[in-house]
Amino acid sequence: MTGSRPHPASFRDPAGFVFTVDGMIYRQVNKWYSFRYDYLHQCGLYERLTGQGLMVPYTEGPPDLALSGDAYKILSPLQIRHISYPSEWCPEQLKDAALLTLKVQRIAMENGMGLKDATPLNIQFLNGQPILIDTLSLDLYEPKKPWIAYRQFCECFLFPLYIHRYARTGTGKIAAAWPDGIPVGETARLLPFKSRWSMGAWLHVFLQRRVTSRKSPVDERHLTFSKAKLNNLLAHLQSTIGGLKVSSGSPSSWSNYYDETILGKDYLAAKQRLFRQFLDTIEFADALDLGCNDGLFSKILAESGKPVIAIDSDWQCIDKLYRSHSRHILPLCIDLANPTPATGFRNAERTSFTDRAASDLVTALALIHHLTLANNIPMSLIAEYMNQLAKKYLIVEYVPLSDPKANDLITRRQSRVVGYDPEQFEMAFGRDFQIEKKDPIAGSERVLYLLKKRTL
Amino acid sequence: MHIFLLYIDPGSGSYLVQVIIAAVLGGAFWIKKFWRKIRSVFTTLFAVLFTRRKKEQ
Repeated sequence: MTGSRPHPASFRDPAGFVFTVDGMIYRQVNKWYSFRYDYLHQCGLYERLTGQGLMVPYTEGPPDLALSGDAYKILSPLQIRHISYPSEWCPEQLKDAALLTLKVQRIAMENGMGLKDATPLNIQFLNGQPILIDTLSLDLYEPKKPWIAYRQFCECFLFPLYIHRYARTGTGKIAAAWPDGIPVGETARLLPFKSRWSMGAWLHVFLQRRVTSRKSPVDERHLTFSKAKLNNLLAHLQSTIGGLKVSSGSPSSWSNYYDETILGKDYLAAKQRLFRQFLDTIEFADALDLGCNDGLFSKILAESGKPVIAIDSDWQCIDKLYRSHSRHILPLCIDLANPTPATGFRNAERTSFTDRAASDLVTALALIHHLTLANNIPMSLIAEYMNQLAKKYLIVEYVPLSDPKANDLITRRQSRVVGYDPEQFEMAFGRDFQIEKKDPIAGSERVLYLLKKRTL
Repeated sequence: MHIFLLYIDPGSGSYLVQVIIAAVLGGAFWIKKFWRKIRSVFTTLFAVLFTRRKKEQ
């Protein structure tokens, strides 16, 4: 088959693997999993999970797409347009993904099945909701056995949420530093003493550390565990995670930007008016909002019903946007000065943000001055990166040095700012883009540009 | 080479800790239930005494 290749992250599970044919995702189910696959359908679990929107639905694809002789079925799943990773999620997203995992496990147990692994990499966001994408994670429930994926669930979901709960770090950086989950020993060391008063932390972190660090391990093969006990454990995990307050009580320097620190209501109204006027003149299939803050403009982009990726480096902003339940928006915590790299074995399992994010329309509102003045990134390099991300159009806001917000960024700098003026701005962006519209934003000295790629 | 292992490592002690946690949760459940029973015995006792005293007055 021409153009078909196994997905570089899908090689661990003997039950099958994911592959792509001309950009479309397929899944090969191996004969090894055939009994489980048939059972999944016969017991009604597939219908239950897909009917409730908990698992991605699929149809059986053409058998001749099989990449190896031990293929049992070829599945053609619903295609998810934008893939994201736990290191890019805000705490609320990780919490919802954890609750989804537990819900799937409990429903599966009612049908005689269970999850054989519990990693957030099995979950993606579709229409603003988490959804299980790995069908082959469902295995037969082994009566009287504890949950095989308990440790992985704790390390990938519960522990990052606990650390965040006490340290307010966001969960993305923990997932980036420990992509396979943070071990219990590290978690116990990072949690403050007061966390021991929490029953959940005491049981799942401190007790677990004590038991797993025993010098003479117990032979666990003969331990029995009733279904009722496992259900109690899962219910306790559900109530513990459900009750974790992961959103911030106090605002960050960005999360109330539009309410408190913006230049003025006139400016914001004028900017929205101009933004809508620009959108009326262009066609786009998807959009990427860079430095989205709490998503005021991402929501305007989403009014068209087109999918929008909205990124900001501040997890509190992304939390707020995620909690607004915007169906068409995928909010992600990404710092544009240091976007997600390609990671995993051979740097090929998970692709970089840049490789995933290219969209017809890119918007960068009140952002360029931060990258230039705070991160010291030359204007020409920013323009080059925007050219990489935008397939058709770019809406960009120019903030002059005289602007109070730009001024805040340079007052503590000793050196003189060179090369930051409207001419340099237009020259840098003019290499790959042409100016379609250029309008001053009332109530400020800022200018909003609609740029079109020269290659179009 | 063909490797045929459990897909993921449950981790040493991970089964045992689940057994212990379930026991603690079960214990907590019984204590709660028992405590409720004791409380209800005392509340009904006090309620009876209180109404009797009121009647006597």
